[in-house]
Amino acid sequence: MDLTMLYYIVAAIALAVCTGFARSRRMVVGFASVFFVMQALFAVWTATGGAGMISSSFFTYDATGTLFMALMAVVSPFAFVHSFDYLRDNDLPEFRLYNMLMVLLCTAVSAVYFANNIAVTWIFLEATTLCAAGIIYHRRSAATLEATWKYIFVCSTGIAMAYIGVLILSSAAHEGSLSYESLREAVAHCNPLYLKIAFLLVVAGYSCKMEVFPLYTIGVDANFAAPAPAASLISTVLVNAGFVAVLRVYRLMAESAVFDWVQNVLVLTGIISLVIGALFLRRTNNYKRFLSYSTVENMGIAAIGLGIGGVAAWAAVLHVVAHTFIKSSMFLQIGVVRSIYDGYRINRLGDYMQLNRIGAAGLILGAVALLAFPPSPLFVSELMILRETMAEGHWLLVAVIFLLLCIVIYSIFSRVIKLCYHPNQSPTREAPHATWLSWSALALLGMALIIGLTMPEWLKVWISQIVNF
Amino acid sequence: MILSLIILYVVTLVYLSITERFRHYATLMTYQGWLLLLIALFRLHSIHWVDLLFVVAETLIFKAIVVPMILRRIISHTKINRVQPAGRSQFNSLMLSIAALAASACITYLVADASINQAFFCVSLYALLSGMILIVTRRRLFAHLVGFLVIENGVFLFSMAMGVEMPMLINAAILLDIVMSILMLGMFLTKIGERITADDSESLTSVKD
Repeated sequence: MDLTMLYYIVAAIALAVCTGFARSRRMVVGFASVFFVMQALFAVWTATGGAGMISSSFFTYDATGTLFMALMAVVSPFAFVHSFDYLRDNDLPEFRLYNMLMVLLCTAVSAVYFANNIAVTWIFLEATTLCAAGIIYHRRSAATLEATWKYIFVCSTGIAMAYIGVLILSSAAHEGSLSYESLREAVAHCNPLYLKIAFLLVVAGYSCKMEVFPLYTIGVDANFAAPAPAASLISTVLVNAGFVAVLRVYRLMAESAVFDWVQNVLVLTGIISLVIGALFLRRTNNYKRFLSYSTVENMGIAAIGLGIGGVAAWAAVLHVVAHTFIKSSMFLQIGVVRSIYDGYRINRLGDYMQLNRIGAAGLILGAVALLAFPPSPLFVSELMILRETMAEGHWLLVAVIFLLLCIVIYSIFSRVIKLCYHPNQSPTREAPHATWLSWSALALLGMALIIGLTMPEWLKVWISQIVNF
Repeated sequence: MILSLIILYVVTLVYLSITERFRHYATLMTYQGWLLLLIALFRLHSIHWVDLLFVVAETLIFKAIVVPMILRRIISHTKINRVQPAGRSQFNSLMLSIAALAASACITYLVADASINQAFFCVSLYALLSGMILIVTRRRLFAHLVGFLVIENGVFLFSMAMGVEMPMLINAAILLDIVMSILMLGMFLTKIGERITADDSESLTSVKD
């Protein structure tokens, strides 16, 4: 039996422990770097040599896990590099605790990606709560304490709901094994009412990770309270973990008699998330919360894509992939903004174009990409979702999505333009590394744009494998 | 025997809805821990002895001893004794709780089939609703914490209702239950009391739009 996943988890935990007990910042950076290299090598191996292999009984290197693992392997080193600068004023214990938790978070998320068992997915999603909670509390202020308390409280309740959903699903399937493979065979003959209840509970529970309605709020609070580089991971790779968990249950349900109902639930969830995202993008006065509501909006679009099904489901996965690059780039850029202004207040910050041209250009380009203007890959995904929605004859839904996207476009552009060109009312400070940090965040955005321009064949094949079950 | 224990468990939930003193909350959590221990012993006797030992040890040590002990320490540490009434009398709380019990019974009647133990299903649903009612209707964070523990106990009961054939799932859930609850209790004991002195949910509203 292949045990690579087990070895990977054990090695990652060992590196996390070493990071947590390191005696200098240089050692922390060293251990964290070893982890990135190991993570990257593991991602490459799962995509090539290990493809399709079952590992340690509970994990499978399938297309879904491999794609999202590859995304994390690309995005997380950027977050770590930005963290080193972001935490330069922190003392050693805080610095190493933060990095240890980041390593553990990445490890737990990778286990969620590859889990082939619904209980294992659930366990590691719960584990991400523990790691993320420590990161959210990093600044040790009253606001971060409040956000951490809410995060643990709501996540635990949400995950408990999902657990009940898992129990009902397994009970309905009369299956001792909780692997997705055996459940898929069993759900075709299950009591439809149980399947509906189970799906509702699982989606509602995992919504705290996927950052969609109903438990999206704690994701927003978490991104607000966590350091910006960590928020770039929480808002992308952790959100992707929630998406993967829902996607796997969605694929299970495709074999059942309630699949149409499941799709309707996802469309409803997506629309409500889109409404919330669009409205709160106008309302919030904090750039990190602003980007978080954009995540709610984008994951809402992905949920709508899954709900519509067919080509739209393909586009939903592409949407999540593109969102990972763009949103992490935007969060890292906002981290650079903080290094110059020491704050995120939308009504006070301005003149960013004068202070950091590269950063301002990165934010404007990021906003253009986030709003799905060509050559952003989000343009392709949203166009495909809308086209499929029209083909299905849901014209009212198309009209609502268009209206909400107009609000989103206005909100995001007005806020980003305000930051770049309006008069500044906030004190500024020297940020010696701002330019090269902005360049590095821009590199992530560049990757998204390259995907949008070239749409590589391997990515198309990968996504097709994911949605063709 | 199991039915008598489950009825006693329901009584603790009803009493939880009307009590106003926090030390009564701690006492009721102790009773719930012992009741869950006995229910687990009777319900899960057919599973492998190692799994049973784990479940029993966890329920005894954690739910019946450690949690109530930490709750009592929090009470003495924060010097809080009573629930602040949130515009609802005890009579209203009792009515709400009984409505939740009736709703749980109706839902169980409508959805439960032969594969599910109806008594377990109904009571665990009632426990979940009771926990949520406690969180929504009480203002003090301590009551929210107890509400969370009641939900966790309900989930544990639910897993026993359905998970006789899946001890691995129960064990995993219990382990995480321990970790999360200790994290929350520890946070409340060491951080919340210091930073948010009023320990009122109103003081946890600075992070918002």
